[in-house]
Amino acid sequence: MVLKNKPLGFKLSTAWLSLCVLMATLGWMLPLPKWNSSDADALGVTMFSKGHILGTDNWGIDQLSAMIHGTRISLGIAVVSVTLGAFLGAFLGVMAGYTRGWIDAIISMYFNVTLAFPTLVLLLALVAIFASPDPFNPGTTLPRMVVLTFAITFVLIPFLGRLARAATVSWAGRDFVLVAKSLGLKRRTILLQHIVPNVLPSLISVSFLGAGLIIILEGGLSILGAGGEPGSSWGSLLARNRGDIDLTPHTTFIPVVAIALTVMAFNYFGEYLRTGIDNRDSRI
Amino acid sequence: MSDLLKITDLAVDFDTSYGVLHAVRGVSLDIAPGESVGIVGESGSGKTVFSRATMGLLRGSSVHRTGQILFEGTEISSLDSKQIREYWGTKIAMIFQDPMTALNPVRRIGAQMSESLIKRLGMSKSEAKDRAIELLTLVKLPEPELALEKYAHQLSGGMRQRVMIAMAIACNPKMLFADEPTTALDVTVQAQVLELLADLRKELGMAMVIITHDLGVVAGYTDRIAVMYGGEIVELATTTDLFTDTKMPYTEALIKSIPRVDRKRGSELSSIEGMPPDPTKERASCGFADRCPYAVQKCRDEHPELVDAGNGHSYRCFFPIGGK
Amino acid sequence: MAGTGKAHLRDSPAPILRVENLVIEYKSGRNDPVQAVSNISLELHDGETLAIIGESGCGKSTLGKGILKLVDVTSGSVVFNGVDINTLDKEALRQVRPNFQMIFQDSISSLDPHLTVGRIVRQPLDIWNRGEESERDAKVDELLVSVGLDPERVKNRKPHEFSGGQCQRISIARALTLEPKVLICDEPVSSLDVSIQAQILNILQEMKVRYGLSLIFISHDLAVVRAISTRILVMYLGKVCEIADPDTLCDSPRHHYTHALVSSVPVPDPTVHRHSAILQGEPPSPTNPPSGCRFRTRCAAATELCATEEPQLRETTPGNYVACHHPRD
Repeated sequence: MVLKNKPLGFKLSTAWLSLCVLMATLGWMLPLPKWNSSDADALGVTMFSKGHILGTDNWGIDQLSAMIHGTRISLGIAVVSVTLGAFLGAFLGVMAGYTRGWIDAIISMYFNVTLAFPTLVLLLALVAIFASPDPFNPGTTLPRMVVLTFAITFVLIPFLGRLARAATVSWAGRDFVLVAKSLGLKRRTILLQHIVPNVLPSLISVSFLGAGLIIILEGGLSILGAGGEPGSSWGSLLARNRGDIDLTPHTTFIPVVAIALTVMAFNYFGEYLRTGIDNRDSRI
Repeated sequence: MSDLLKITDLAVDFDTSYGVLHAVRGVSLDIAPGESVGIVGESGSGKTVFSRATMGLLRGSSVHRTGQILFEGTEISSLDSKQIREYWGTKIAMIFQDPMTALNPVRRIGAQMSESLIKRLGMSKSEAKDRAIELLTLVKLPEPELALEKYAHQLSGGMRQRVMIAMAIACNPKMLFADEPTTALDVTVQAQVLELLADLRKELGMAMVIITHDLGVVAGYTDRIAVMYGGEIVELATTTDLFTDTKMPYTEALIKSIPRVDRKRGSELSSIEGMPPDPTKERASCGFADRCPYAVQKCRDEHPELVDAGNGHSYRCFFPIGGK
Repeated sequence: MAGTGKAHLRDSPAPILRVENLVIEYKSGRNDPVQAVSNISLELHDGETLAIIGESGCGKSTLGKGILKLVDVTSGSVVFNGVDINTLDKEALRQVRPNFQMIFQDSISSLDPHLTVGRIVRQPLDIWNRGEESERDAKVDELLVSVGLDPERVKNRKPHEFSGGQCQRISIARALTLEPKVLICDEPVSSLDVSIQAQILNILQEMKVRYGLSLIFISHDLAVVRAISTRILVMYLGKVCEIADPDTLCDSPRHHYTHALVSSVPVPDPTVHRHSAILQGEPPSPTNPPSGCRFRTRCAAATELCATEEPQLRETTPGNYVACHHPRD
């Protein structure tokens, strides 16, 4: 199978991320209380208590259920925004890097202007403008999440786009592109067959690293109050429960551990892919 | 006359993910004062690793260097970095292939030159400036006073090389290591730089070691030539003897495959088929056996040692050209 | 802007490629545009190997790319089979491309690293829909064998697994897939070891004979060029200095630059004494070339005439031309 002969880190990261994906997609089937319902009989119980394997917090919310729901949100935001951001960023970046001229000027200007804003401030502003103000009203949770996803995507596009552009400029200068032109290939074909396949690996590798960062970013936004409904994601769970660290320490550590493991797993893949690319592109 | 530089059995191994790479396998070389020696080899011959190892430029935990390097009788292979600096830059100087990377791009030429003069020789700022102009004049750089104010990228390749040479000879070294000094230069500029090096050698009485892949370059500017192949010296002789009394088949094949500007168009260029031997493997045979037109079974079964043919000519072959 | 003239162009026998008054400019920041190729004319005859030689900055590489229109051409004509390629529209130009191919100095960079060698060599056939699948595969095998590679061991591997020399062989195989008429080689052996150089040059000669190619060989190495070319064209700062057959050019160069070039080439023979005609100074900047003869600033024989009037190519001995007011005897 794919996992044969891979280093230990690879296997562990794959295992953890697979678990997360499993929880996100199928975790709702588990017989657990709803992620935001409180069990009045079990307020603040520790881990491995009866009926609550990961314990509850001060409101009686089952932590396992909350974490499973949080997986869906946190991972969902990370994966969706990174994928969208990479796709759009790559498209714009490759166009800019290959055609140069005024198209490049406009796209680069968009990139640079967006990147000039401090990320967190920009995200807060976008959430404030576009999302509904009341995070507690269940009817408006989804728009909050959607806005957050799109806002993060918006910030990612120039970041990944600049990378794609730089990679494109570098690859477009190689002789094999001249060869492709001399064979009579049209520009679009050259881009799709020669440039993009070579730019993609490094973009994917950075995207993995970006995904890890987004999870942390989402946590930061939650702490600042700009996240989704409190307790709906890992970050917001952490934000809500960190005040009770003296009473129910497990409710703080569980999301922290989950975030740390996920970020490490993403980082690992990012590094792994990067060294693979470097080995291929460099020669002794 | 006692040797200026005496290298004995220098061997360099690298730890790599493919295994241990034996880049240099026991090389010995003596260089007398004022002598010019060429070290010639293609890629994979080990000449670059050998020169870097001699210059003490190989660092890192994956590098294993054994052997002895004596400079004026002092063992320098085991010196620590502080002590090494006593030698390198003052008694032994080096110039490299790409002067652009050897010069600091964000400092003016004059500042870079003065820096080493002030630190090494304890000169004052104005003394250093005068000496810098003196040196630039010595290397025939046009308008030296103006050049001092320039940055590296404002000079052409040939001029940068001259600046590097000027910096190298600043402390009147006894020996100059030139690592592919003209490979990146145009052929007319190459000729200028080689003539310059030859003149400087005479004026300063420096010994010189030229490491290159170009037999043409060493033919005109060296007293002796060492040919390296597969990490070993396979032939060592005076320049004249190497070309007129070639003993090692590799050297002969190399000379024959070089196109010559002074020879009419002939038939096919003679080439050497095959590839250099695998550096990660131990060698129980002659490294050139697979590609040698004269090879017999003995060449594949045994590893030849260096044989002294007299007159400073040694070769590594069981069946040398022209007999033993 | 005047060039060195077209005295050296002949109409019969008809050349397969004729370049006339080619000018290639590129913008250099806010300064005036730089003329990398300044009004050059040349022709290539069937079966010939025309070498274009010069040092860095002379524009030879740009010339090669300009002939194939891989870079923008400012003015001039490139006539192939009676048609001026420069006047063709995009689609017509595409159709003409299979007649010309080019190989480059950096053999590894010439191959797309994410494709297998088999796919790289097959690509031209796939693009131009030549033959059935099986025929294409057979052609790929045939070409790999002719450049000295074993198809079974090579086809499914990627370029980074090969050495520079092997990559150059792959490039040559790829260049020959469409059986072009003209092969332009831009410094194809300059970054290879001497023993590998000879291998590649021999392969090029073989391919030339087998496939009936005409070569344009761009190089800075006069020794290599003497060994394999039928005519040599010397360039300096975007202009033509001399055109002659290799023996004449190397043994009795008429242009002072050619003479300096020949004298500077290192000879692997300690008994051969070098001439002392070593050029002084550096090549002038292409942004501000000297008036009249561009070489005059470094030429020992320069006179006032050289500053005011650009020398035209004139025949010296039959078939040999030099652009100099005071050529050497």
